[in-house]
Amino acid sequence: MLNLTELQRDTITELLNIGMGRAAAALSEMVSEEVALSVPSVEVLSRRDAAVLVREKGCERIVAVLQEFSGFFWGDTMLVFPEDKSLDLVHSLIKDTFPLDIMTEMEQEALMEVGNITLNACIGSIANFLQSEVSSSLPSLLRGPCEVIFGDKNGIQVDHEVVMFLRMDFALHARDMQGCVVFLVDSDAMGMLREHIDQFLSHF
Amino acid sequence: MSSVPTVLIVDDSRLSRMMIRAFITQAHPDWTIVEASNGPEALEKAATQTVDLMTIDLNMPGMDGLTLATQLQHNHPTAHIALVTANIQESVRQRAAAAGMEFIAKPVSEDSVLACLSALENRRA
Repeated sequence: MLNLTELQRDTITELLNIGMGRAAAALSEMVSEEVALSVPSVEVLSRRDAAVLVREKGCERIVAVLQEFSGFFWGDTMLVFPEDKSLDLVHSLIKDTFPLDIMTEMEQEALMEVGNITLNACIGSIANFLQSEVSSSLPSLLRGPCEVIFGDKNGIQVDHEVVMFLRMDFALHARDMQGCVVFLVDSDAMGMLREHIDQFLSHF
Repeated sequence: MSSVPTVLIVDDSRLSRMMIRAFITQAHPDWTIVEASNGPEALEKAATQTVDLMTIDLNMPGMDGLTLATQLQHNHPTAHIALVTANIQESVRQRAAAAGMEFIAKPVSEDSVLACLSALENRRA
């Protein structure tokens, strides 16, 4: 059910690459520095194993801006970075112009806004590319161990659920900060995405 | 310079190669198109033939597109090179311009590919 042909996998990888290109440009404008990007990856695995992959990159306790998206396919997308770096990102966003107490106060709001802009840039360009439409929920900010956040679905732990896991890492070298954007897509949504991709590929 | 241009498409994404090939073939069915999915394969294929136009993806596993383009430029100084990337940050555009390369944002469109082909044809005229 969760099988992908080589070309479908390649196409999904390229969709993420295009989406993250837009997201990185938006993030780069906000923090006024270049955002380095990794090669994207697409895997089918359990939510728990997805969390392990992210934790191995040094993100044990994370801050995640989560947006649920729906439309021609659906799922969760998250902007993820290490918890101990979240204030650094806020510094980058508001250019170190505010005192620390105000900065701390603004942290949640600032992080949700950066998540909202980058995740929508990513999702929007994927939808545009496939000439379809998706809408996304308001962002929410989550903090905690990677396994807990990735394993949660509407308040229920479903860490053994197998999902399509899309991930692309980014880095702000000047701030010594790295994070990633991930998509968690269940099997039904993945089936819909495959149909759209096959339809798109039939033009070539 | 050969009479029929040869285009080298370098991209780890098969989808992206398919799209660029389709747009070129629609406009110029007689052009020769060579594909490579990574840097070493591109260097190998370019070593044995004249290449007039190269479209090179930036973000590939192993050798990145700018490093590859610099090496190819050395061996094919007259070739027109376009850096094709979803990474549309200004700093990337500037690096492409500084290296004398055209910049094409992904997803590629028929218009962006045809504009690149026109630039090549103007150079050959």
